Amino acid sequence: MKLPKFEYAAPESLGQACRLLESRGEEAHPIAGGTDLLMALKNRQKFPKMLVDLGAVPNLSRIEYSDADGLRIGAMVSLRRLAANPIVREKYPILVQAALSVGTVQLQAMGTVGGNLCQDTCCMYFNRSAMVRQSLEPCHKLGGCICHVVSSSEECWAAYTGDLAPALLALGASVSMAGPGGEQRLPLQELFSGDGKRPIALRPGQLLAEIQVPAAPPRSGAVYLKLRQRETLDYPLLGVAVHLTLERGENGHCKTAALAMTAVDKAPILLQEAGKLAGRKLTEAQIRELARAAYKRAHPMKNLYGLTTKYRLSMVEVYVEMAVRQALESAIH
Amino acid sequence: MDKTVRININRESYELELEPNQTLLDLLREQLGMTGTKKGCEIGACGACTVIIDGEPALSCMTLALRCRGKEVITIEGMAENGRLHPLQEMAIEHGAVQCGYCTPGWLLSAKVLLDNNPSPTLDEVRSAISGNICRCTGYQKIEESILAAAGRSLPAPAPEGESSPRV
Ligand SMILES: Cc1cc2nc3c(=O)[nH]c(=O)nc-3n(C[C@H](O)[C@H](O)[C@H](O)COP(=O)(O)OP(=O)(O)OC[C@H]3O[C@@H](n4cnc5c(N)ncnc54)[C@H](O)[C@@H]3O)c2cc1C
Ligand code: FES
Ligand code: FES
Repeated sequence: MKLPKFEYAAPESLGQACRLLESRGEEAHPIAGGTDLLMALKNRQKFPKMLVDLGAVPNLSRIEYSDADGLRIGAMVSLRRLAANPIVREKYPILVQAALSVGTVQLQAMGTVGGNLCQDTCCMYFNRSAMVRQSLEPCHKLGGCICHVVSSSEECWAAYTGDLAPALLALGASVSMAGPGGEQRLPLQELFSGDGKRPIALRPGQLLAEIQVPAAPPRSGAVYLKLRQRETLDYPLLGVAVHLTLERGENGHCKTAALAMTAVDKAPILLQEAGKLAGRKLTEAQIRELARAAYKRAHPMKNLYGLTTKYRLSMVEVYVEMAVRQALESAIH
Repeated sequence: MDKTVRININRESYELELEPNQTLLDLLREQLGMTGTKKGCEIGACGACTVIIDGEPALSCMTLALRCRGKEVITIEGMAENGRLHPLQEMAIEHGAVQCGYCTPGWLLSAKVLLDNNPSPTLDEVRSAISGNICRCTGYQKIEESILAAAGRSLPAPAPEGESSPRV
């Protein structure tokens, strides 16, 4: 499976990279680890005329932490380096769980945090090889006008299946973008457009430069659980991240609560209902209520290989309850 | 852009003329004749094409050859040094951890990265290190045994029936 022809550039500053990408518009794509992008090129799903390598851009591979500012992760940090970082292991074990659940060891070593967040959506029709796809009419995502998942739909229903996004959303992360309008800092959630066809809300010339995670408060616990068929290789068929902080004292009142999911919609979901737990004691009834709210919000579709949609949906409540209990456990200890 | 690229492969420096769309796998197999690196799925899912780049495990089918400029690549051809097989290779032979051999170069290199960083791994660490290398012939037991043996350890006795708990 040969790669199609393209031009290649390796700019040596972030500004140069952004200007080059802006000047070439839609026909130039940034390449980080390349594990997501090159698959799309091999399968003839994307046709960039130029790849702009971010590997030579300085300062994108740093991991820094301070109690005042929290954690800052450069977009080009590999998942394997993130998971091996002593501070991340100590203060943000949820990021270790999420990073080490991506694909395989080799993909973790090659894949970057920025590339993981900005990965394309998945769909078992769109993701087939060009040869297999020949038998089907091109779908919305390939410039056609049909969705093979929801055949009556005017929209593309490909699923967002990144593993880091839910963990970072639950931790309250924000992202810095570099580009034409200067640097911009946004809540991570705003990176995702909710459009299956074009899931990342970046304009040509805009690059994700850094991810910021607030300092880990005391008495907090965060957990990421991933449903997949095999313990390796597979993308999530459901991913649930929960982050809880408890009030001081013995009463077990919740100070903050956040819940995020992946693989059950066109964008990762940050569930607003979780915020209602703040200031309340976490009872069994409340955990079940939260699980129910997540179940109602999740829309697994028949767009991923593996388990049935019904099974995936029925696992939402199970995984939320499990994740809340585990997060609570680690917040107490 | 200058298309001449210097890459260190198996401790030797190569000066190469490369096209942007050439993968490291294409370069190794077709231009350099190093066919020990295997071509399996070609989309990053099987691990047959695993090599080591600057000490990290990498899929050569998903790596642009041009991006290896100035880097150190180790392929299966470079695993033996000074005419002596690596202990992992010797143990693979001794434990019969090879059937058709297609996955073998890939998992040997994944295991090398493991032992280079962690000379006495547990069985779980071995399993996780080779979990990106799919073998369609054997079970993985002999492969695990041979890696543990190369690290000077042996496979722990299997848990009695009913004691192994399923993992979530
Ligand atoms: C077999 C297989 C299994 C996989 N399993 C999983 C899985 O379980 N979970 C999972 O989450 N992913 C999985 N992936 C997808 C992918 O490997 C990972 O998401 C990886 O982290 C992507 O990072 P990358 O650096 O390689 O991205 P790249 O391929 O380099 O980039 C991905 C996309 O993001 C854009 N991009 C990259 N960096 C930036 C930036 N700084 N600013 C703006 N845009 C940028 C690129 O243009 C491209 O469109 C799998 C892939 C394969 C081949
Ligand atoms: S050939 Fe590279 S992963 Fe299968
Ligand atoms: S020995 Fe045949 S694939 Fe592993």
